[in-house]
Amino acid sequence: MEVRKVFLTEDEIPRQWYNILADIKMNPPLGPDGKPIGPDSLAPVFPMNLIEQEVSSERWIDIPEEVLKVLNIWRPTPLVRALSLEKYLDTPARIYFKNEGVSPPGSHKPNTAVPQAYYNKVFGIEKMTTETGAGQWGSALAFACSQFGIECKVFMVRVSFDQKPYRKSMMEVWGGKCIPSPSPETKAGRDALEKDPDTPGSLGIAISEAIEAAVTDETGKTRYSLGSVLNHVMLHQTIIGLEAKKQLEKIGEYPDVVIACAGGGSNFAGLAFPFVHDKINGKDLEIYPVEPAACPTMTKAPFVYDHGDTARYTPLLPMYSLGHAFVPPPFHAGGLRYHGMSPTVSQLVTEGIVEAKAVTQLDAYAAGVDFAKTEGFISAPETNHALASVIEEAKKAKEEAKEKVILFNWSGHGLIDLMAYDKYSAGELYNFVLTDEEMLESEKVFEDYPKPQLIKSR
Amino acid sequence: MDESKDHLERRCPRLGGPVSFRYCRTSGDDVSACWKIFDCWWEGFDVVGYLKKHLPEDKFNMLVNAKPKPKTVSLVELIEQAKKRAS
Repeated sequence: MEVRKVFLTEDEIPRQWYNILADIKMNPPLGPDGKPIGPDSLAPVFPMNLIEQEVSSERWIDIPEEVLKVLNIWRPTPLVRALSLEKYLDTPARIYFKNEGVSPPGSHKPNTAVPQAYYNKVFGIEKMTTETGAGQWGSALAFACSQFGIECKVFMVRVSFDQKPYRKSMMEVWGGKCIPSPSPETKAGRDALEKDPDTPGSLGIAISEAIEAAVTDETGKTRYSLGSVLNHVMLHQTIIGLEAKKQLEKIGEYPDVVIACAGGGSNFAGLAFPFVHDKINGKDLEIYPVEPAACPTMTKAPFVYDHGDTARYTPLLPMYSLGHAFVPPPFHAGGLRYHGMSPTVSQLVTEGIVEAKAVTQLDAYAAGVDFAKTEGFISAPETNHALASVIEEAKKAKEEAKEKVILFNWSGHGLIDLMAYDKYSAGELYNFVLTDEEMLESEKVFEDYPKPQLIKSR
Repeated sequence: MDESKDHLERRCPRLGGPVSFRYCRTSGDDVSACWKIFDCWWEGFDVVGYLKKHLPEDKFNMLVNAKPKPKTVSLVELIEQAKKRAS
């Protein structure tokens, strides 16, 4: 029988995180005075031991024993070979994934929540605050705080709070307090409620509330926590890729392609950065961060000759297009926008060390359903984006008859996100809303363009 | 404001759940549009034309040119704002 799962024993867990800042150069963030932001500026919201990690350029940073003890609840996570998916795709590719869904909150997020809670505890902090959108981060921090006896307060955007009551339940089981934002607890929240008592809230308000709650605690015993984007978050997540390397080594494999979805960047960084280190040092592999992309759908758009770019510099190409005029420059020229993404991931994209990929919502959910039907696990919606890219690579391997090794991060389960699957199954996920009138209007730009033939090869 | 598109829904990549177009056009700073509104809606309908028509020119231009600041910069700004609110 073929080996399906590769395990590390608890004493084989990596003892150090990999810090990519040792291997790439970054422009420092500048404050309003035009000077680089100093560590002291962040001291009202983060403990100094975490700020030191944020700016550290040490390549390897020891993982404290107390952190390892908690991570050991679910780590090392299994490396799983997706044998059923491979068979379903009839691909020569060997597909492996890190199952990060086995953590107590069901995602990769506690990989950083745990060390963040630990460093706060060591620094003498008694309460932590944060904001959460979907609730994954809020539940991860509530879990981590419970492990170190820290109070946890999570401001959850009201619209999500109402949609996902079980996230609140999870946080509260772990002793956290989950508050719909805007709340009457902060001035930022009260101001928002005064403007509109029925406001559904926003991430902007929730983060303002979480920071205010930390900054205004006169005891100085409260700090704020962020689950993505920042350097120390990326650092803590690298345990995923470091484990994966050891596991692949055990079975004599090394990836040709590494794939993970990239929202804020932490689950991508977690799997990919240790492999980026290899690539920088001469290894030959492809590394893809995958983000949701909005692309013209082939089912609705007319098949026309159009420019591939909004500035109309590229030659006319036959394509399904809603018209170059439909795409405002410069938003979609690169296919991806990396605003809001971790600066380290952005830097790697800019330098061409990793290559950004984008997949549509429908492709993502279709991939998620294929994965659930073959491998069994129901993926978190963002994980589906990575899956769509994996399936594309596996199909490419088949076309090229190449035995590629594909590694991806299965960053979490979607058992609390089933509403989105319902909408997908009901065909409601995409409300394609061009009226006939609007279609005609958008097609007007093609009036003077040549019309391509619909050619069939067979 | 023309509300004909407000009922449309899609999954918000930031919140992880379905939101209406009305939410997207009002959930940014100062009740303006979310900075990702073009990314999320451009394939659904001509969101650029729609917002150009319905937003004052300065607000539209701000949205078009919106680039979220580096996280540490926005954190420092939020800390200052929180201190001001508390004082």
